[in-house]
Amino acid sequence: MDLQKSLDVALKDLMRYARSPFVLVMMFGAPLMITALIYFAFSGPGGGDGGFQLPVTRVQVVNLDQTTAGFGGFSAGQVLVEFLQSEQLSNLIEATVADDADSARAAVNRQDADVALIIPADLTAIAFTAGGGTSLTLYHDPTLTIGPAIIKGLIANFLDGFSGSKIAAEVTSELLAEDGLPTDPSMMQSVAAQYAEWAQQVGQQRASAQHPLLDVEAPPRKVAPTNQLADLAGKILAGQLIFFSFYTAAAAAQSIITEEEQKTLPRLFTTPTPRTAILAGKFIATFVLVLGQAVVLTIASALIFRIRWGQPLTVALVTLGLVAVSTGFGLFLMSFAKTSRQAGLVMGAVLTVLGMAGGLFSSGMDVLPRTFEAVALFTPQGWAMRGWKLSLAGANPGDVLLPVGVVLVMGAISFAAGALTFRRRLA
Amino acid sequence: MRIVDLALKDLSQILRDRKVAALLVLMPIGFTVFFSMLFGGGGSAGEADPRLPIGWIDRDIGSAPGPLLRLLEASDAVRPVVLDEKGSQTAVGQVLDGKLAAVVTVPMGFQQLLWTEAPAKLQVTVDENSAAGQTAYGAIDMAVARLLGAVESARLSAEAFETSGGFFDDASRQAYLDDAFSKAINAWQDPPFTLAVEQASVAASEGEGEFEGNAQASPGLLVQFAIWSLIMSGSTVVLERTTGAMQRLLTTPIRRWQIIAGHALGMFSLTVAQELLLLAFGQFALGVDYLRQPVAILLVAVALALWVVGLGMLIGALAETDTHVMMYSLLAMFLFTGLGGAWFPLEGTGAAFQAIGRLTPTYWAMLGFQNVILRGMGLSSVLTSVAILLAYAVLFFGLAVWRFRFE
Repeated sequence: MDLQKSLDVALKDLMRYARSPFVLVMMFGAPLMITALIYFAFSGPGGGDGGFQLPVTRVQVVNLDQTTAGFGGFSAGQVLVEFLQSEQLSNLIEATVADDADSARAAVNRQDADVALIIPADLTAIAFTAGGGTSLTLYHDPTLTIGPAIIKGLIANFLDGFSGSKIAAEVTSELLAEDGLPTDPSMMQSVAAQYAEWAQQVGQQRASAQHPLLDVEAPPRKVAPTNQLADLAGKILAGQLIFFSFYTAAAAAQSIITEEEQKTLPRLFTTPTPRTAILAGKFIATFVLVLGQAVVLTIASALIFRIRWGQPLTVALVTLGLVAVSTGFGLFLMSFAKTSRQAGLVMGAVLTVLGMAGGLFSSGMDVLPRTFEAVALFTPQGWAMRGWKLSLAGANPGDVLLPVGVVLVMGAISFAAGALTFRRRLA
Repeated sequence: MRIVDLALKDLSQILRDRKVAALLVLMPIGFTVFFSMLFGGGGSAGEADPRLPIGWIDRDIGSAPGPLLRLLEASDAVRPVVLDEKGSQTAVGQVLDGKLAAVVTVPMGFQQLLWTEAPAKLQVTVDENSAAGQTAYGAIDMAVARLLGAVESARLSAEAFETSGGFFDDASRQAYLDDAFSKAINAWQDPPFTLAVEQASVAASEGEGEFEGNAQASPGLLVQFAIWSLIMSGSTVVLERTTGAMQRLLTTPIRRWQIIAGHALGMFSLTVAQELLLLAFGQFALGVDYLRQPVAILLVAVALALWVVGLGMLIGALAETDTHVMMYSLLAMFLFTGLGGAWFPLEGTGAAFQAIGRLTPTYWAMLGFQNVILRGMGLSSVLTSVAILLAYAVLFFGLAVWRFRFE
């Protein structure tokens, strides 16, 4: 009969939550909204093309390179300008030519350009004469990182072609000189030209699927990723799902305090209902609520963001672990609050701090410092996140037994501590 | 005077609770430190190697550590981590876990076959769907191109030598090739054509203002926690209304507008105090140079606080319970900070997102702060930001007054 009473208490609580648009928005709307925000941030205008939209970087090129008849009219600087203005790079770079370095730098300072590239006067001369070296300057807005990194990569590859030619000629010249053989400039130019031709061929191979020296394979995931954005959305939503599950569980447990303040709980105690049955009812309501939240969010996100959560049994295990630990922890957390005002503060503060330490707000980052990973393992959120990340990577059920086991133990301990405190308080 | 009294009452009500005070001080500082470390600032430059770790498994037994390893070690994007037998077994798992950005496996006979028409290929395990994986692949590809370039240089050099004099035998040819290859590899450690990267900033030119995580995290978290503080200050308005204290106030000679102004002043004081604390923490603990233009920074901080007050009053007007205040504040915080570039720079986001982001007050606050601390600009560079923030403050405050309920 106690079970029936517990179920009645649970049903009453669940009905109250279901009737509250506010609770529903916080349970489902907030995590989906935050994920959508980030998904939208890194996707194209349509949001569904499956890849990141790289920003078009506005580059002002200052070509100070001086060429003379001695180099056959060739200008390395001009070749670089044409490369940056080529059709193949038009979706990445918007390159315009500036008159001088000062005006290009000023354009970047005014944020009229993202990057200024200054080609030195001696670029061609250094390429064709022995010894020496020169440096191009990439001047960029300090708040930008992606665009300048792309430009840097392209130019570095371009310059490596010139460097390689020069190195080939100089190594030859040096070795011939060591053996006392004459170093004919035309021979050196021939070596450099042959190298340049070879570098161009290899460059094409490197850009194609047939790399001359690399055999690339993806780490063997058990679930094929749908696309980069879905991958990112999966990690972010896992973090949000955990954060809001803990929040929902704590908010549900807060009903004990609210009912105490509203005097409905003391009234309930006057009925022949054991306190344990009431607490059990509260626990059941919270458990069902968080379970419903997890199920709805995983299904909705799979449909909206095309997230592949992993193998069904693995997902079921990590969901069970999350629901158990958030329910237990919610009760434990609320046992510290004396009033509903305090409960709100404790909930907001503790869950945010633990979420931060548990890696819920950095779940989209690929490589984290080791300290963060270590700190995360001291929090239930960190272990829950570990399980969900494994599931997203396609882990087998056996692979998630450790994180699921840890969160179940944490959930049981925190539930016992919370229930004990409430029993004493309500005695 | 009544306005000040009411504001002081609000402040004393909020700060009386030590837990609340801790939330207002410790949480923002904790978050700022956390995110500055996460974004790579770490508080002190050069403390750790920021390059992406890639695993290095050498199965080319008998050969000395290869020239490729040297080329990779010279990379500014990746740092090879030589894995032992045990590490090799878990290497792929480490890529999956994000502990390694990639793994390079050198096959048996790699160095020997490098000179043949059919060289043994390096096995690279990398998740090209991840940003770290793409960066790592780019760096590996560049190092490999230089390695191949060194081989080609040696070949071309040997051909030139043969034209000039010729080799006595195969052994002398091989010795020449080895020597040329070694010289080419050495030359690649300091290539003749390089790219110098400079940041457009007065701070950078003075050698102290490199873009670090701190310059994103410190103002970003300041903006975020200015909104976060509404959890406390917004709830005082709701509490006063729900307990009937506001109704009781109305029976006194205080006017309605004075009640609103008093609460607004309380919120403003709290927000500005928290901002000043975070600015001081950023300046002295994280090395973010807010004091470069103190007046400009103060203007942005005050304008931001005024907008936050407008938002707080609106939340106070709309919320019915403490929990509502907390959730409205959290939602506003997530939305405005996410869209406005306080969490991550808008640079990497799509065009539509950027356009929407620029409509948020938080974007203008970030722009104002970063114009000073990153771009090294002066007072005039923050005036647009301040004007827009003030306009938003008027808009939100107007909405709050319109929707304000005293009962």
